[in-house]
Amino acid sequence: MVSHEDVLGIARLCKLYIADDELDSMTKVMDDIIRFADTINNASEEGAEFDNINNLSNAFREDEVVPSYDREEILKNANDVDEGHFLVRKRV
Amino acid sequence: MKYEMVAGFETHIELATNTKIFCSCTTEFGGESNTHCCPICIGLPGTLPKINRQAVKYAVMAGLATNCEIANISKMDRKNYCYPDLPKAYQISQYDKPICEHGYVELSSGKKIRLTRIHIEEDAGKLIHKRGDTYVDYNRGGVPLIEIVSEPDIRSVEEAKEYVEKLQQVMRYIGISDCKMQEGSMRCDVNISVRPVGSEEYGTRTEIKNMNSITFIGKAMEYEFARQVDLIESGGRVEQETLRYDDVTNTTSSMRGKEDAHDYRYFRDPDLVTIHVTDDEIDELRAKIPELPAVKKQRYVSELGLNEKDAQNISKYRKIAEFFEEAIIGVKTPKTVANFIIGQIFRRLETEADKEEFATAITAQQLNELVKLIDAGKVKNNLEKSTLEKMLYTGKSVNDFISESDMAGRDDAALTELWQRAVENNPNAIADYKNGKQKAIKAVVGFIMKESRGRADAAAAEAKILQLIK
Amino acid sequence: MAEGKIKHYSDMLQKKEISCTELTEAFLSNIESANKDLNAYVTVTADTALNTAKAVDKKLSLGEMLAPLEGIPMTLKDNISTKGIPTTCCSKILEGYTPIFNATVWEILSANNAVLLGKTNMDEFAMGSSCETSCFGGATNPHNINHVAGGSSGGVASAVGGNIAVYGLGSDTGGSIRQPASFCGIVGLKPSYGAVSRFGLIAYASSLDQIGPVTSTVEDAAIVYDAISAYDKMDSTSQGRRGEPTALSIKNDIKGMKIGIAREYLDGVRDDVKLSIEKACEVYKSLGAEIVYFNLPALKYALPVYYILACAEASSNLGRYDGIRYGYRTSSYKDVNEMICKTRSEGFGDEVKRRILLGTYVLSAGYYDAYYKKAQNLRGSILNAFKDAFKNCDVILAPTVPMTAFEKGNAISDPIETYLTDICTVPVNIAGLPGISIPCGCDANGLPIGMQLIGNTFCESTILNAAWQYENAVGSEVFKESPYGVKI
Repeated sequence: MVSHEDVLGIARLCKLYIADDELDSMTKVMDDIIRFADTINNASEEGAEFDNINNLSNAFREDEVVPSYDREEILKNANDVDEGHFLVRKRV
Repeated sequence: MKYEMVAGFETHIELATNTKIFCSCTTEFGGESNTHCCPICIGLPGTLPKINRQAVKYAVMAGLATNCEIANISKMDRKNYCYPDLPKAYQISQYDKPICEHGYVELSSGKKIRLTRIHIEEDAGKLIHKRGDTYVDYNRGGVPLIEIVSEPDIRSVEEAKEYVEKLQQVMRYIGISDCKMQEGSMRCDVNISVRPVGSEEYGTRTEIKNMNSITFIGKAMEYEFARQVDLIESGGRVEQETLRYDDVTNTTSSMRGKEDAHDYRYFRDPDLVTIHVTDDEIDELRAKIPELPAVKKQRYVSELGLNEKDAQNISKYRKIAEFFEEAIIGVKTPKTVANFIIGQIFRRLETEADKEEFATAITAQQLNELVKLIDAGKVKNNLEKSTLEKMLYTGKSVNDFISESDMAGRDDAALTELWQRAVENNPNAIADYKNGKQKAIKAVVGFIMKESRGRADAAAAEAKILQLIK
Repeated sequence: MAEGKIKHYSDMLQKKEISCTELTEAFLSNIESANKDLNAYVTVTADTALNTAKAVDKKLSLGEMLAPLEGIPMTLKDNISTKGIPTTCCSKILEGYTPIFNATVWEILSANNAVLLGKTNMDEFAMGSSCETSCFGGATNPHNINHVAGGSSGGVASAVGGNIAVYGLGSDTGGSIRQPASFCGIVGLKPSYGAVSRFGLIAYASSLDQIGPVTSTVEDAAIVYDAISAYDKMDSTSQGRRGEPTALSIKNDIKGMKIGIAREYLDGVRDDVKLSIEKACEVYKSLGAEIVYFNLPALKYALPVYYILACAEASSNLGRYDGIRYGYRTSSYKDVNEMICKTRSEGFGDEVKRRILLGTYVLSAGYYDAYYKKAQNLRGSILNAFKDAFKNCDVILAPTVPMTAFEKGNAISDPIETYLTDICTVPVNIAGLPGISIPCGCDANGLPIGMQLIGNTFCESTILNAAWQYENAVGSEVFKESPYGVKI
């Protein structure tokens, strides 16, 4: 059974607020989804080792410098910028 | 009751690669904010990491140099936590399959500080807080790090300091990091607890985060040891918490409350594939590891007849040791070479960085020539040091200074005339000297060296001039 | 409809029966009218399109030969990064975001003078099966606008099905190309994992996501697949196409090809859909293929395995939307932490929040082993089961979706019921296999039914070959023309 506390705890980890009036419905949906997910624990088999989809290894990049982007480009999509930095201004 | 300290270290070391761990931006220190960045560095949606081969090699070398087992198969995981300096809200790190495990660092006492593991991960960006505003710079984000985790084997501040120094020395020796604590390329988290002497159980530990000076590590550990002992003695209990050390007040304080307990939700990074290092590749990297300082020191004592202290000093820095080893080739008395290095060359190297760089005016070959002449009895005892001084002053070889007459040790009449001339020709410099400008005398010595085409003995000349102008 | 539209338009351009500018203008003006009904496009890039068209016309005027995709009007799902063109994943949280780099697929296609008409609608962050979780509202079905186009690549499917793009690229994490293709009566190919670069594709679930073509015909799918399936050094999981271009072998004889039917795929499938699959078997038999029946019991856990793994990865992939470097930021907050939490709570829609919460849950301390790790192991079993199945057959034939396009509003009212409709598409993503959906009939209301051909890893040419042969054999019998769009 997923509890209100579970949902709030999880929400805190992934930086989401659950409004008071959403908490009941979100808990209910989460409980349903977890029950659905739980069906895998009915599987009798342990399963097999899974590494990565095509069993790839060693996709390396060589240690050669490529010029970085212009700072203007890097900061272009930011909401707030000052002195070449991304900025989160204090609000009161 | 008597208590003992129990400490373990988590040491982050930035690897000396040219590029970041998952993109091709430079790792150069400094630079204007956000100028060493690309879409990957700032975690733009749709970007993917591609791991730097050199970072993996360096991590393997770090493991080999600290007696670790190298994993043939390892992988990268995501450590999820949301913080503005972490552009993807996860740090790519290694969780349950680190690249190196089960190593140790041996202290001079012979005690081994066991290493649990060494893993590869990426550095975070930098936050600057100004008047409540938060500024973010991602230049450092994505610089490759290794984290070296030790077992709680350290029992004193002295052991802790030696452990950190040893790590620093070894990593510099193998050339994988400059380990500059003041620039943040080496940072330590110290886990520390106390227990009654004789007890086998561990006490509750605290973690002092982000220490970037060996001196402060010592002070912080002393403070924290005393704090924990006082707490227990007065009937209190040590709380498991993360601490920050304040070097102004020399105290530790709690960094965050318990309500923020982290749950990193580690899982394999699906954007990166398995890292497979073969035994052959490990052997290739092992071949690149130079003889390490502890082994060198031992050899200098047992094979070359150096005393412990000299052997220690010479082996401490890789470049000095290499210079020494080249300078003793075919030499009868390696001790003479060691004396010259420690006596005359070290004097010219003021900072740690100077010693690390070991920029001397002469080559090991030139020192070798001098010592061979000494061995052959061709340089008089009282001229050995002054000849080396001349060489270091000018960068010239021994043969440029030692004429047949020098070797015979005869006084050159021409020199007396030259000293006289030097005094006469440099009245201003001499006046300055007499007025307290000590350095002015160098100009007069310079005149002598120039006139003698470098053949004069600078030290002797200086002494002689001082005598003359008294 | 075995003649490909890409070749059709390419020939017209080459023969100068129409200029690229005229062709592009025809599409743009049709978008203007049809998009009011279809809501397929969320951004129209008329200037970009017309500039490219001009360049193509210039080439034509010099008598140069066009590459296969040169001058062909197309679209990209709005989760494929396009430099200088908004890329929003149809989420409020990416409001105002304009990439500063191109996705590799777009780098390839734009270098080939593909004419980008615009970016198409999708479920927010590709999470959904109806396109209705889009912050712009869902795309509708070009065969009946009271029904959904499907999801998550609903906009691409609606645009191609509604003839307001010749082809498009979508992305498929659990069926997001094949399901809307099936709903809209067109072709959708989900390539093998690693065949097409993911660089620049805004991640939903990294180990499952693949970009693939959405087209009117199998031949078109082969041409587009051949163009985009290149090794990319920017993507560690990229391998590129194996073997010859698939377009060379689509018309090969399929006599003796073994077509497998896994009984589990037909469980709970609506009767009319099942019937279409049975009819398709007859078609294949008549083409000389052999039908083999077998069981794939591992499929039983495919859906929960999919949702656990996809949501776990998504919860991590979507952590970066914090309002600091790009996208939406809330207007009032006390401190940085509150800014991040409010930005995310206001910026993400309900379905995205649900999946982030689920993903966080299954990875969190105490639950990892029971959910994430177990699901990962079952992923291994499913993969092995497919490998075994392909020892006895060349392709697997299955429904794409157990039903036809939902009525608008139905999908979002019950999330779990909607998850269940992905039953036939998710196994392919779990096992990293290629899968293609092609039309195979219509239901009583005239809504298209799709069927799926699944191949072994990197055997795109085999499924495209089988798909082309079917399409060629049935012709216009199963193909339904939408009333919308360009008809040249």
